[in-house]
Amino acid sequence: MSVIVEAKFLSKYYGNFKALDGVDLSIQTGAITGLIGPNGAGKTTVLKALIGLVDFEGDLEVVGRDPRKARHKLMEDVCFIADVGILPRWMKVSQTLDYVEAVHPKFDRRKAEKYLASTEIPSNKKIKALSKGMITQLHLALVMAIEVKLLILDEPTLGLDIIYRKEFYDRLLNEYYDGDCTVIISTHQVEEIETLLTQLVFINKGRIVLDTQMESIPQQYVEVLVDGDKIDQARQLSPIYCRDVIGKKAFIFEGQEKENLARLGELHTPSVADLFVAKMSQNGQSIEAESHE
Amino acid sequence: MNSHKIRAFPTLLKREMWESKNLFIASPAVLTVLIIVAFFWTLLQVPEDIIVETLGQLKALTDGVDITTLAPVLMPIAIPYIIVLSFCTLIYLINALYQDRKDSSILFWQSMPVSNFHTVLSKVITVCFVAPLFVVAAISVLFLMLILIVSVLGASHQVVPMGMGQLILASIYSLLLVYMTAVLASLWLLPTVGWLLLFSAFAKNLPFLWAMGAFILLLFVEDFIFGTQFLGNWLESRTTNYNYIIFDVSDFFKRLFSYDMLFGLVLGAVLIAGAVFMRRFAD
Repeated sequence: MSVIVEAKFLSKYYGNFKALDGVDLSIQTGAITGLIGPNGAGKTTVLKALIGLVDFEGDLEVVGRDPRKARHKLMEDVCFIADVGILPRWMKVSQTLDYVEAVHPKFDRRKAEKYLASTEIPSNKKIKALSKGMITQLHLALVMAIEVKLLILDEPTLGLDIIYRKEFYDRLLNEYYDGDCTVIISTHQVEEIETLLTQLVFINKGRIVLDTQMESIPQQYVEVLVDGDKIDQARQLSPIYCRDVIGKKAFIFEGQEKENLARLGELHTPSVADLFVAKMSQNGQSIEAESHE
Repeated sequence: MNSHKIRAFPTLLKREMWESKNLFIASPAVLTVLIIVAFFWTLLQVPEDIIVETLGQLKALTDGVDITTLAPVLMPIAIPYIIVLSFCTLIYLINALYQDRKDSSILFWQSMPVSNFHTVLSKVITVCFVAPLFVVAAISVLFLMLILIVSVLGASHQVVPMGMGQLILASIYSLLLVYMTAVLASLWLLPTVGWLLLFSAFAKNLPFLWAMGAFILLLFVEDFIFGTQFLGNWLESRTTNYNYIIFDVSDFFKRLFSYDMLFGLVLGAVLIAGAVFMRRFAD
């Protein structure tokens, strides 16, 4: 398997604010990588760096290119969807098809039209007349008709209702993803994409705090439901996180022997959401006190 | 791949027209309608004998006159169009690289395999070559209507509307001159085009104030440091010297290949390159 994204020590300052603080990231071709972090963690900055929209320090190679040079060449192989607002509001639906067809060598108009036919999007309407959900559907229709090597989704379903959100990921996975392309999804709604991912990356305050393959999570992390009388014992094994479950406490351990933990109670693989909270609190981040992005 | 590149650029120009059709298509069209309405209204006020007399004068004036002599006489009809076009172009340029940053749609444009150079170039070409085409189209409709009205009037008053063929040819020739004048004017003012695009690409908000303010600041700085008014004088000579207005096709090339023009083109190109650069990491 080849590497499609290789970032070494990416740093980015906005004035005195350190948006990225030495980010190392390596993504294999065919991966579905979740880039998870609280607002303001640096997710969008990483993604924008990947497609050459922000300058940065460090080394970065995306699909074999430096994104700071010849962005337009890179974008023949990379597609990008950010949270819903970014399609130009003055444009008609049919014009978006005309435009992308003309400028993108890998766009298949029939595919996009077929997809649009399955939605309720009228082709003669302007984008500003569409609902948020429809705008995202349209953008997905455009992107799914492009054969790219890397698809970057920045909070793609932000502000959508649950039906659109579910449909978005269903279609993406069933009709688009074929194992040849690579997908990077940033979000803070972890639960939604948990089952899609092959690689999990947590980012906080401009730093990578976790980078692991999904399949190795059960070996690395264990959640134990501990009864009241064994709580002190559990604490001695230095859990990384503890939360209350009715009548018990759930501890998350990192890199502990499973035999030792089994004596304390029932073992589970922690959910990505719990793991996220664990890693963030370990990192000294209060989840409630999220700053703006 | 290559055929794709060829198809892409005209679509970039089309994109500009889709976005700015009010500025570049609707406004000259509306002007034509207004002028025709005003013309009809005037006709209704004028007594019939004066109309007949005027038709006779028109016949006498145009009879046997060379179309290259007649065409420049028709050109002033373009003046209101050029004034409107100037305002529309100003609004267009100052928003050209600003609006999409403001509404975040720049992320969509930047996610397409179109270089910043091509994006900015499409805006310059739109201003210099495409927008004047719509002005010419609107004026040609106006000419057609006026010629039609004059013919019908002439026929109904038994004044043979003579010289009509000539009038039509002269109209076409004057349209060519108007187009060339508009192209020359925009090339002559290319430094202004570049300046506006630069600030359109740069300003976080209020790009027009930035563009104006920065220029005024430059004037002051020049005066303060060197005690000269070179910039101000130069701008004045550029804008008050209407030497881009031509009354003969051969003048077009004379005006185009002059040192003054070349200097403006180079300066404009530098500023436009600046706008392309600003666009790179614009956000």
